[in-house]
Amino acid sequence: MSEISSHVPMANVPVAAPPEISKLPPREWMKENLFSSPFNSVLTVATTIFLLAVFRGLLSFIFNPIRQWDSTATNLQLFMTRAYPDEQYIRIWFCVAVILILTGVSMAVWRAGSTMPVATLGHKLMGAGAFLALLALLAPFSASATIQWLAAAVAVAAVGEAVRRFAGRGGTDRTVSTLTVLVVTLAGLVASLWVVPYGHHSYIAKRVPRVLAEPGTVALTTKLPWTIMLMIVVAAYFAGRLMRDRLPANPIRAALVVLWLLAPFFLVYLVLRDPDFDMGHVFSTDLPIFIAYAVGGAALLSWLTRPSTGETGRIVAVLVLVAGFCTFLTPMRQVVRLDMLLLAVFALAAPTFAGGPRARRRYIFGWLGVLGVMSWLITSINTPSTVTVPGGFFIGGFSITLFVAVIALVISFPLGIALALARTSSMPIFRQLATGFIEVVRGVPLITVLIFFSIMVPLFLPRGMHLGEVAAVVIGYVLFSSAYLAENVRGGLQSVTRGQHEAAEAVGMTTAQKTVFIVLPQALRVSIPPLVGHCIGVFKETSLLAIIGVFDLLYIGRIVIPGQTEFMGSTRESLLFVSVIYWIFAYQMSKASQRLERRTGLGER
Amino acid sequence: MTDATAAEPTGGQTRDLSGARDMIVCEGVSKWYGDFQALDKVSATIKEQEVVVVLGPSGSGKSTWIRCINRLEIHQEGRIVVDDVELTNDLRNIEKVRSEVGMVFQQFNLFPHLTILDNVTLAPIWVRKKPRAEAESQAMSLLERVGIPEQAHKYPGQLSGGQQQRVAIARALAMEPRIMLFDEPTSALDPEMIKEVLDVMKSLALSGMTMMVVTHEMGFAKEVADRLFFMEGGQIVEQNTTDLFFSNPTEDRTKLFLSQIL
Repeated sequence: MSEISSHVPMANVPVAAPPEISKLPPREWMKENLFSSPFNSVLTVATTIFLLAVFRGLLSFIFNPIRQWDSTATNLQLFMTRAYPDEQYIRIWFCVAVILILTGVSMAVWRAGSTMPVATLGHKLMGAGAFLALLALLAPFSASATIQWLAAAVAVAAVGEAVRRFAGRGGTDRTVSTLTVLVVTLAGLVASLWVVPYGHHSYIAKRVPRVLAEPGTVALTTKLPWTIMLMIVVAAYFAGRLMRDRLPANPIRAALVVLWLLAPFFLVYLVLRDPDFDMGHVFSTDLPIFIAYAVGGAALLSWLTRPSTGETGRIVAVLVLVAGFCTFLTPMRQVVRLDMLLLAVFALAAPTFAGGPRARRRYIFGWLGVLGVMSWLITSINTPSTVTVPGGFFIGGFSITLFVAVIALVISFPLGIALALARTSSMPIFRQLATGFIEVVRGVPLITVLIFFSIMVPLFLPRGMHLGEVAAVVIGYVLFSSAYLAENVRGGLQSVTRGQHEAAEAVGMTTAQKTVFIVLPQALRVSIPPLVGHCIGVFKETSLLAIIGVFDLLYIGRIVIPGQTEFMGSTRESLLFVSVIYWIFAYQMSKASQRLERRTGLGER
Repeated sequence: MTDATAAEPTGGQTRDLSGARDMIVCEGVSKWYGDFQALDKVSATIKEQEVVVVLGPSGSGKSTWIRCINRLEIHQEGRIVVDDVELTNDLRNIEKVRSEVGMVFQQFNLFPHLTILDNVTLAPIWVRKKPRAEAESQAMSLLERVGIPEQAHKYPGQLSGGQQQRVAIARALAMEPRIMLFDEPTSALDPEMIKEVLDVMKSLALSGMTMMVVTHEMGFAKEVADRLFFMEGGQIVEQNTTDLFFSNPTEDRTKLFLSQIL
């Protein structure tokens, strides 16, 4: 800690350069690291043989001529969205575009990517060539196929060598942005869509269009959209760079975080909305209620956050809470009741956030924002969905996996934090309620929770209220996930030292201020690794959806596709494909967690 | 240790503070941790602008006493009145006292996830409800006063121990307290960093702040303190003005302590 600054005043003293670590030539490196003793030599040889055997087994599985890989390529649409009607498919692309725009802008604003020397890129390409050559030699190819693969390997390695020479020629260290490399790679993939007929398969006539989306190749339906998507994400990145350079950083980042949190709800709404929905009800009922609460609530909160209001404010806030509970005694629209309770929460918290005109304005904007989201959520829940498709819940595949995982996580995060705070609170009622909830939920298998929610909950609902099966299941996931999250966050809360609590109390902070400004930031930073582990867990546990009859990614790969007459018995191919998709996303989350840890400086103190 | 300053004991100890009003009044304060009695009927009065130093072996209850004064510990018997506000379970009184009393800890306890500037401005903005610009300009002038304005945008982990403790003093001063409590402020510091913290504390004492300091720095005590308390076993064994305390201690225990420490 103290070393860093004690070096600063000595800046004019010539600093001794650290000794260069000389690179060993390959032969000595191998001798030192792999064959340093007889035992190590045996270990090296045995491990190499074992790895080669496993790799060869995998290759002979993948390249066996009886594998029906076009079953996955042909069914990509089924894997991603199941039976979403073709004529409405533009909505799915719109969703992808929204997500990509947000990604592009965020990458620019948070300065994603780094630069690497061009020489390194050359080395990597040469490594890829060597890998391809190894693959060609190990895989059980015919002679001509082996020669073709070897030729490809040599070509890749040659490109790598050319890049390396090009880099070395200038004398200076040329660098290239990792983002450029990424975009070039993606562009290559998209370009291949136009050339290679992925999933080419001629169908028997008159298949049910719900199962196999359309005749022809997948490439025919996706090459144009994916090209547009690539252009969109690049454009979004440059737009984000413009914004980053022209506008102040913090408001943009805050706006982006809010957009990311709202996007899942908006996109679900967009995908499920009935195209013939009558907006009249919204204008005649929902909008007036929103405006009334917005104006009235803003006026009330403006008064409550005035420092001079004092104790009368707390009495008024409690009265609002009582009024909120009273609305449940009389017949009334649900949205009126919920908004009232929300207003009560804001009113009770108002004295904590009291202050100057700016602080008050910020608080009122917070109220308007939360109220807007809440009203819009309630409206969209009450909106009759949706696109009509015969059969059960028509959307599925990877999109349902993502929807359930993302929405469950977005809702369970605040809930889990609240539970953790309640469990560590000094108030016995909160503590015991939270402990009881957490212990009950953690003691029950997730499957029972899901079955309970899909079968039992509709029985308990008041008459006239209908909850879709997927919505019921999402509630189950939220409860389950929040209990586990709460325990992870609690670990972080306990890692905040007593001295931090005392320092915050000694400067006169209230418990709420101490929690928000001092304890939670430190606790959440410590809990990043377990929290990300939890996110990955929830993402993969969505595969349990199949048990209650939702067609999620795994179910389609395991049951639906091997059941198609064209691809009878292609279970292993689809399972491998599905696990690769899961792995890609889980691995990205893991990488994101590492970046987040580095950014927040975890482990540096 | 700080022998250069100990050579000329010309602090404020000859000041006549008998006319000043009482800032901290403790009457028969007792506290137990389980069966262990940490404080045993501690009674003392500290005047406005007075600087008192509390001495004693470890485990004698001096930290517990000072922490009771802004209710980081809760006393079980007796009464504590700070600036005419009695410390009871009433939350409003506690918050009022805490915003009037600044505290500096042995382990600094800066907020590691905030910059130095945010550490200093957080409480004025949210507790005192000051506008941000005003709080920041005040924080910068305080950081200049403790001698580290150039570190404002660093994080606590990047600073040395002495710098961190000076930031902690600035953070406490930002609330514009009437009383400052110091709980062994130099015990966790390297010897060469102690002086920079003590210098800040001396200038604070000269500016007329009411201060209560738990420390083992005898040089600081001789130079700055108006009065000394010696504690042992949760009791105040001896209290006297600085001159008399060092030149003519009455209790045997005090003599033993002074002979070992000086």
